[in-house]
Amino acid sequence: MKRRDFLKFIGIGGVGAGAGFVLGKVSKPPGAKLIPYLIPPEDIIPGVATWYASVCTLCGAGCGTLVRVMEGRAKKVEGNPGHPINRGGLCALGQSSVQALYNPDRITKPLKRKGPRGSGEYAEITWDEALKTLAANLIELKSKNESEKFHLLTSPLGGTIDRLAGEFVSAFGSSNYSHYGLFQRKNLAFANLSTMGTASIPHYDIENTKYLLSFGADFSSTWVSPVNYSNGYGKMRQGTGERGKLVQVEPRLSLTGANADEWVPAKPGTEALLALAIANTIVEKGLARDASAWRGVLSRYKAKDMASICDVPVERIEAMAVEFARTRPSLAIAGDSVSSYENGISGAIAVNILNQVAGNIGVIGGVMPNGDDLGNGKKIDFGRKISTLISAANADKIKTLIVYGANPVFTTPKAARLEEALSKVPFIASFSSFMDETTAHADIILPAHTSLEDWGDDFPDPGVAAPVASIIQPVVSPVFETKSLGDIFIELARAVGGNVAGKITAPNFAEYLKASWKGLYSRNREMAAGTLGFEDFWNKALQRGGWWGPSRKMTATVSARAGEHLTGAPARFEGEEAQYPFYLIPYAQTAYMDGRGANLPWLQELPDPMTSVVWGTWVEINPKTAASLGLKEGDMVNIESPFGKISAPVYLYPGIRPDTVAVPIGQGHSHYGRYAKGRGANPIEILPYKEDPLSGEAALNSTRVRITRGATGERLVKMEGSTKEFGRGIVQTVSPSEFKRMKKEVV
Amino acid sequence: MSGLLERIAGKLRSYREPGYYTKLDHKWTMVIDLDKCNGCEACVVACYAENNLPVVGREECEKSRAFSWLRIERYVEGEYPDVKVKFIPVMCQHCMKAPCETGCPVYATYHNQDGLNVQVYNRCVGTFTCATYCTYDVRRFNWFTYKWPKPLEAQLNPDVSVREMGVMEKCTFCIQRIRSAKDTAKDESRPVKDGDIKPACSQSCPTGAIYFGDIQDPESVVAKLAKSPRRYRLLEELNADPSVIYLKRVMGDGTSSHE
Repeated sequence: MKRRDFLKFIGIGGVGAGAGFVLGKVSKPPGAKLIPYLIPPEDIIPGVATWYASVCTLCGAGCGTLVRVMEGRAKKVEGNPGHPINRGGLCALGQSSVQALYNPDRITKPLKRKGPRGSGEYAEITWDEALKTLAANLIELKSKNESEKFHLLTSPLGGTIDRLAGEFVSAFGSSNYSHYGLFQRKNLAFANLSTMGTASIPHYDIENTKYLLSFGADFSSTWVSPVNYSNGYGKMRQGTGERGKLVQVEPRLSLTGANADEWVPAKPGTEALLALAIANTIVEKGLARDASAWRGVLSRYKAKDMASICDVPVERIEAMAVEFARTRPSLAIAGDSVSSYENGISGAIAVNILNQVAGNIGVIGGVMPNGDDLGNGKKIDFGRKISTLISAANADKIKTLIVYGANPVFTTPKAARLEEALSKVPFIASFSSFMDETTAHADIILPAHTSLEDWGDDFPDPGVAAPVASIIQPVVSPVFETKSLGDIFIELARAVGGNVAGKITAPNFAEYLKASWKGLYSRNREMAAGTLGFEDFWNKALQRGGWWGPSRKMTATVSARAGEHLTGAPARFEGEEAQYPFYLIPYAQTAYMDGRGANLPWLQELPDPMTSVVWGTWVEINPKTAASLGLKEGDMVNIESPFGKISAPVYLYPGIRPDTVAVPIGQGHSHYGRYAKGRGANPIEILPYKEDPLSGEAALNSTRVRITRGATGERLVKMEGSTKEFGRGIVQTVSPSEFKRMKKEVV
Repeated sequence: MSGLLERIAGKLRSYREPGYYTKLDHKWTMVIDLDKCNGCEACVVACYAENNLPVVGREECEKSRAFSWLRIERYVEGEYPDVKVKFIPVMCQHCMKAPCETGCPVYATYHNQDGLNVQVYNRCVGTFTCATYCTYDVRRFNWFTYKWPKPLEAQLNPDVSVREMGVMEKCTFCIQRIRSAKDTAKDESRPVKDGDIKPACSQSCPTGAIYFGDIQDPESVVAKLAKSPRRYRLLEELNADPSVIYLKRVMGDGTSSHE
């Protein structure tokens, strides 16, 4: 009832008003009850929040979370202050996981395809029918001796669920279980494998470094383990020790670059050469650790030769080299923009070499290799690429495909012709909880829980040079008729029967997980220390969010053989310069990451940190370039590569090279719910299909584009007014030398 | 009975004592280290989650009606390749001499005994005066009664009221968290400790740039940080006496042009 109406009733008469008020409230939904809480559920006290420890699964970093639950509903996801990865912080994406849980566009029940493939028309079915249909399909495959034609494609899962999925596939008689994600950092892992002998990503000790040289690593927003690195960054800047310096090398100023003390806008594709030129200068100036071993490999990369190729003055290269070598400890990191070129491995290797010659490996404040104490690290199978899947599908070697978590239709270029390949797969099942582009191709959908409803565990990779094992526990009862991902596999195994059911015997995933941890507990003496048996350990781990041990100091050496993967030339870009004058940099945006965040309303409305744009895609162009093209902010342009065309409004961005344009990844969904669908453009569509033959990582920075007018589309919506202070001294600064003279505040 | 009268009389007397109106139970203060802040906007989402801020959609955003109580402002100096970017989180500064409070015709916004600038939603009639007077552009107006599509409303924080059309709102320093910490302290018969209260933005901050506490407590972190030589307050020359203290960013040659 409106206030005004209420006042009218008062005018008629006090009694009438009361009655009207009461009558207005009668329309309660049928079956609605006040819950008396006469026998209250164990952990529900009305009005008092209960906190559960769990793990964020929105990216691969594995931040520990505390979820605030009131009256059985998840209210807020916060970082777990005790967790060694994130130490209490949590990024924008992670905090929005509660909007994934309560997303109005979730798949609420198992679905069966009604219309043509890709149309998104489905009919609801029961879980029983769904499991039977999928099992019948698998049984048929097995009876025809075509078990190898069953493929499972998931996001890069880790821990126990990964083991269960692997067991399912191998028990079925197939070897085709692959992981796929746009930002798997396989190039980085491969570079570490070939230079240091371990495929894991080490812990970059940003906290204790005094000179951080970042080659395109946007660790403030999306790179590898952003909350851990940001926490380190805060302490590096204003911790107990001397203030550390950050230098960022990248053609487009990222969020991290915006915080850097120096920005080095090297020419796209030459960052690896710049790293090698710095390393060579260190060797030549006699500042290197084992100069003799490296002289041969590095002598090709003379600073004076590389300066013009990289578009960085030779004096600057030399100054960086001296400062990098002399400042102790220093640290170089290779980010997405470096490892996303064709032969991105060489960029990551170049940075490893740089760390080696400066003596940064295995030291505090440098690169600290991670061990695999718990034996549960994510295993990267470099042989399993998305191209393996595509060619298998095209050769009719896939009869049944199950997809979970990965959305390759959105994250592979059109040139990969993935959709065409999928159309040749007779039966596709998806376990996704959302109608993403890949799930829209499924014949049957068995929706899994989101991570706030499910059990699981996580062994963060990279870790923090200490063993970390976290537990994901359900914090609320399922919102819809979805099932635990593990339970789907277990029940499917039961329905398929035979040796699959014989191999996977756990009654449910919760038991399977607990058994797996029991094994871990019995193998690991540190875990067992100070506990009264496994049950006690398990309960404590659930309360704390997992188990983590003391840090280990490990070391590694980059072997001089690393030189063999170096190319010695700038990365290649498709398209002739005359026709396509600009380099295209598609980048992972803070909120949407690889597109997964686009269906969460908070993230759509979150202003992009660098441009303040909301609800859409934009193309960043240097103001001078825009002026020469006659473009102003907000003009709609076509961005055309040899492989396709997208359109987006112009954003004038001074932090980008004049020969480069950048487009954020994440929008341009054709499905994925009301918040994401039909919004903006997807720059991946116009990329060439270039997969690294060694690591399987896609090359994102690999094409040139041209910018033409005449496009139509959604307007640019940005939250900023002006980016100028107009002399008001809003963000005040002190110089580093002045800061050194200041008396430090003690906290 | 006489005891009660005495108490009332004492109370009345204390009103007349000099300094009564400037003496506060607490003076909640926020310190933001701009040298730590990297502009990642985790705090912005934390604020949305904690304070039931509605998502208004693209069209409303275009009219600058987005609800963020806390925003990251970004200033760009120079031209390529000498570009300097600076970030600053801006929320209600809880001014001790708040311009907004003088404007409200219905006393919907006033200063409480904790030094907070508070907004009484039930009093607000939406004259927009406070938003016009606000130096920092932090006040947000409910142009509509916003809806949360089911089941998104299950996430709403029961400790914070969901506002309706016609009401002005702004950052509260997470007053619900302050209340709950005070209640807990009272239950345990102790004063509120430094560190008991963390507003949502401060809790979520990955770099740990946002500190919060009672500046009247000399042992608190904020009281110590407030003495930092890097301290300054936003547009201090306007004399609104804000309760948010910023610590200057260490940057470049320090000769920022503030262009």
